[in-house]
Amino acid sequence: MTKQLITLTVNGDIHEIAVASHHTLLDVLRNDLGLTGTKRGCTAGSCGVCTVNGAKGEAICSCLTLAVEWDGRSVTTIEGIQEGNALHPVQAAFLEYGAVQCGFCTPGVIMTAKALLDVNTSPSEEEINETLAGAICRCTGHIKIKKAVRAAAIVLREREAAEAS
Amino acid sequence: MSGGSDLLVNMKFKLDTPKVLISLNGLPELQTVEELPDGSLRIGGGCKLTDLIKNPLIVAQCPALRDALYGVASRHIRNVGTLGGNLCLDTRCWYTNQSEQWRDKREGCFKTGPDLCHVLKTATRCHAINSSDSAPLLIAIGASVTLASHTGEREVPLIDFYRDDGVHHTVLESGEILVAVTVPRFEGRAIFAKLSQREGLDFAAGTFAAAVAGPNDHLESVRLVVNSMGAAPKVLIVSEQILKKSGLTDEGIEKAALAARGTMGEITNIFTPSGYKRRLVKALIRDALVELREQPAGNEASR
Repeated sequence: MTKQLITLTVNGDIHEIAVASHHTLLDVLRNDLGLTGTKRGCTAGSCGVCTVNGAKGEAICSCLTLAVEWDGRSVTTIEGIQEGNALHPVQAAFLEYGAVQCGFCTPGVIMTAKALLDVNTSPSEEEINETLAGAICRCTGHIKIKKAVRAAAIVLREREAAEAS
Repeated sequence: MSGGSDLLVNMKFKLDTPKVLISLNGLPELQTVEELPDGSLRIGGGCKLTDLIKNPLIVAQCPALRDALYGVASRHIRNVGTLGGNLCLDTRCWYTNQSEQWRDKREGCFKTGPDLCHVLKTATRCHAINSSDSAPLLIAIGASVTLASHTGEREVPLIDFYRDDGVHHTVLESGEILVAVTVPRFEGRAIFAKLSQREGLDFAAGTFAAAVAGPNDHLESVRLVVNSMGAAPKVLIVSEQILKKSGLTDEGIEKAALAARGTMGEITNIFTPSGYKRRLVKALIRDALVELREQPAGNEASR
């Protein structure tokens, strides 16, 4: 098995890791770095539980990208979004609205929602639906999840307005 | 490999077992969109679908292309998936696209070895489905692709890029990559329609693209293409002739949709029953053409 040395920034920490060339970013996050908040689901890009955010904040299925391609790049996982000791507004909203059943999809859904709200704090209903289509909750449906996303959007919007003034 | 969102899944399912994988992701030359002097667009094969959807040149020149790209999979996939990758998307079939364990218990087929098809018993070739969403629209507006290998480049009209054979479904040769898509300046109106069981993140049960030029009652040109119905996108020549004669009238649209249903021929029952697909073709075409008729004629950026 060939291994390649890559430099990967995860949640701001720089790691130098020797990764197997056939391992996905998900494999490396979970098995090499012990960041098991990012879940392993369908491994085929259908469920979204493995969602992480790339350098531009974009949502990416970490199961569908090879780790060697991440040399020199940075990634944010669910472990890296809290703000100091406080939860990220999306995390806080999920708690407040009980947008969790078994919790397995939650990290992926939160990273998916965060990717949307990072670039657009006033998403339309259609944009929320379209975004969440890539992150599936099989327990409950998406009603509470969408409520939480809308609530988080309000918090982030207010923060934006406060920063602008 | 480009984005890898199709290939890596197939590799996990052991449908593709390449010894060496070369990533094209580090090539900025493949990731540009430029307007050529004649007004056509040259889109790099490595452009991410997410970036193309937001690209002002594409939104302005051909909003239907944006619609087609927006319909592909989910945001997650479009963030890594590329236009070249979508055009080269491997064909799929309910028999083959299963886990290794599932396939191990059964006979092979055209895709895996013996000359057999378990979906269409009488088949003499592989009938796996081409599910590219961008292909029908790009064919309808007359796009071509540039293929490059160490011996040079060649340009192929997109319709000739595909072969009606699920195993060798493109003319891409070993050692050749798709470097760019050229979309001619488009002066007409175009529309893309997709029907899938789930609205987001699903392969289509059927896609349809139409591009027309001229006023509704006197069309100068018509191009109608369906995909996700067979191993290659299909141009609906008979329906095109009907519309050219009758224009986008109620009667013309109905006749064209009915003719399309009739010309689908050896439609395979992959993923959905063939009877359903025939009805779907008709409904998809009729609804899309009615919508296309409502678009203002004459100006290039129609929607």
